[in-house]
Amino acid sequence: MMWFTAAVQAHGAAAAHAASEKEGFNAGETIIHHIANSAEHPLIPLPEIFGIDFSVTKHVFMLWLVALLVFVVVTWMVRRHLKQGPVPSTAGSGLETVVEFVRDSIVAPNVGSKWVDTWTPLILTFFAFIFTANLIGLIPIFEVVRLMNHWVVGADSSTFLGRLLEGGTTATANFNVTAGLAIVTFLAIIVAGTRAHGFLQHWKNLVPSGLAWPIYVLLIPIELLSMFVKPFALTMRLAANMTGGHIAILAVLSLVFLFAEMARTAIAGIAVGLVISIPLAVGISALECIVVLVQAYVFTLLSAVFIGMAIHVHH
Amino acid sequence: MSDKEQDREIFLARSLRYMQESLRNSGPAVVAGYTLIGAILLLGGIGYGIDAWRGTSPLFLIIGLLLGIVVGFFELAKIVWRK
Repeated sequence: MMWFTAAVQAHGAAAAHAASEKEGFNAGETIIHHIANSAEHPLIPLPEIFGIDFSVTKHVFMLWLVALLVFVVVTWMVRRHLKQGPVPSTAGSGLETVVEFVRDSIVAPNVGSKWVDTWTPLILTFFAFIFTANLIGLIPIFEVVRLMNHWVVGADSSTFLGRLLEGGTTATANFNVTAGLAIVTFLAIIVAGTRAHGFLQHWKNLVPSGLAWPIYVLLIPIELLSMFVKPFALTMRLAANMTGGHIAILAVLSLVFLFAEMARTAIAGIAVGLVISIPLAVGISALECIVVLVQAYVFTLLSAVFIGMAIHVHH
Repeated sequence: MSDKEQDREIFLARSLRYMQESLRNSGPAVVAGYTLIGAILLLGGIGYGIDAWRGTSPLFLIIGLLLGIVVGFFELAKIVWRK
């Protein structure tokens, strides 16, 4: 599977290389082209409303695809699970394990037994969505179809399908997506504090009570700033981690073309590819398989910790 | 279920419980690390942005970085010194 991923990505890099053959291979440009949102060639061009471009780009499309997939699959599994009664099916018990893991080892220790049922659904949604988005970014569905495009599908690159086959992408590698998720966490922190302590008390809880006023002058701005820093840290971490993996793989595969160009013979490129690039890319892809899970886990863990901090105030 | 299988079951359950325990304890440490770097990046970035906008380089960048360090270390201290 990972060999396949690497091969398909190499194919993509080769295609980009062929396009820019005239002015030599530009590794940086190729990498940026692969990880950037397709803003100039959106999948579905839509008009601007209030200066905001509403076109459906490939990141937006992947976002919708992931949301739809998670919604349909999980709803279907839960329905079946409920119908089956006490003994779940294989898929059902798999889902049950995930739900129990998230509830018992992520949410419960941080949020506390009183609020665990309130916040588990949100954290579970985060987990399922981020994990699926990360995972789909790793599976080259559209790239595989594209390999057959020439003979089987025959889509023109100006149509929706043709643009779609340019390649899939990781929705969570886009800062706007992770920022959206972090804003939900940001609001959840406020809602959690408000529900546990009341609206005014939540804001009073930001700083400890009963201190001299010069301390408050220092503390209140710091605490207000750290309120915004927490979701920002979530945003950067997830998006940077997902983008980083793509860049690493593409950079390693770029060596093939760089060496081929430097030595002015394709054999040098192939040799470097076989000895260095492919093994390294496979290794990084294997690492990415772990990163996919760890990143989903860390995002949910951090969200749970932040929500728990708003509920259990320590000073 | 033979004795050996039972032992293995207990071993797996114990390992899983131990892992959960470690993860539970690692939560605050993860927060401290990411908040520290996040604060410096966010506030330094805002400072850089203001500099680029008003042409006051490097005044706001320095202020932003200092603020970021203060906020980041304050959060770190809060987590480290919590009982």
